[in-house]
Amino acid sequence: MKTPEQDTRPVDGRDRLAAHAADCEACQASPLPLEQLAARLNASPVHIDATALSRRVLLQLQPELEHLALAASWPRMLRGLLLSLLPLPLVVAVDAYFLSLVYGLVSALVPAALAAYLVLSYGAVLVLLFAMTYAAIPLLVMHGGRRLTPTHLSVVP
Amino acid sequence: MATDEELVGHIAHGDHAALRELLRRYERPLSHFLYRSTAGRDVEDLYQETWLRVLRHAARFDATKRFSTWLFQIAINLCRDWHRRVPPEPTDALPDAAPDPAARIDDAIDAQRLLARLSEPHREVVILRYYHDLSEEETARILDCPKGTVKSRLHHALAQLAALGRRTAKNSS
Repeated sequence: MKTPEQDTRPVDGRDRLAAHAADCEACQASPLPLEQLAARLNASPVHIDATALSRRVLLQLQPELEHLALAASWPRMLRGLLLSLLPLPLVVAVDAYFLSLVYGLVSALVPAALAAYLVLSYGAVLVLLFAMTYAAIPLLVMHGGRRLTPTHLSVVP
Repeated sequence: MATDEELVGHIAHGDHAALRELLRRYERPLSHFLYRSTAGRDVEDLYQETWLRVLRHAARFDATKRFSTWLFQIAINLCRDWHRRVPPEPTDALPDAAPDPAARIDDAIDAQRLLARLSEPHREVVILRYYHDLSEEETARILDCPKGTVKSRLHHALAQLAALGRRTAKNSS
């Protein structure tokens, strides 16, 4: 039994043959039985479920798509990482200056060893935060690369 | 709505939604083209292989050209390879008459088998021009030949089909 997706609608290309014959010198010199030809060619419905075919192909091509997505994400990720590394020297310099100010302030109130411990601990927390931020960049870049959602393609007649 | 050419750009980056949309747009014309080119044999394999090639070469697709032309060029090359590889079905046994004696002989003639008797260039032109209603320009671009060649091939193909039809009708009478 044929599904609705199976396209067995007859083709009717009589007008296409007529247009060709009107424009073809060979056809005008030796006319062809266009009506009969069209009738024969029209008697050829296609018994195929194109939608089901596409569904299967989409599934089969999934690994290839994932491979392409991974390959395409590397240059983007590297670009993102390099761009984010550009302001890093300035940020480190500002933080180092800030930490030295804090050390000067704290060492006036508590012993120098304790002040050094507090400032170094604070510095370690800052380094950890930086590391986590930079580690998140590849994930953000890869996620941002897949922006073409079905809503961009939703204008279906 | 994204154009076909934009979608190919997205496919090159592994975009699932873009491939699904292109499949939706071209599933009917492409599957019908393959079906008619191979008389319905190995359509699924050829359909999958066509899209696999689209995926693998999407990054090199020239976006200034039409995607449909490129897609059919891929399909035609695959069909040509397929015809070289796969032995043709016997076409001698054309149906001589309809099983129902009341039916007209013309209706009983299987167009697929008639098409199978044409040479490859002639069959391609008939399928693209007649069944897919492509212009001479578009057909010429797909087949990479001059417009005049498309016209003369179509004439020769039609003349051959008419002769085959006459011969079959004579055999059946």
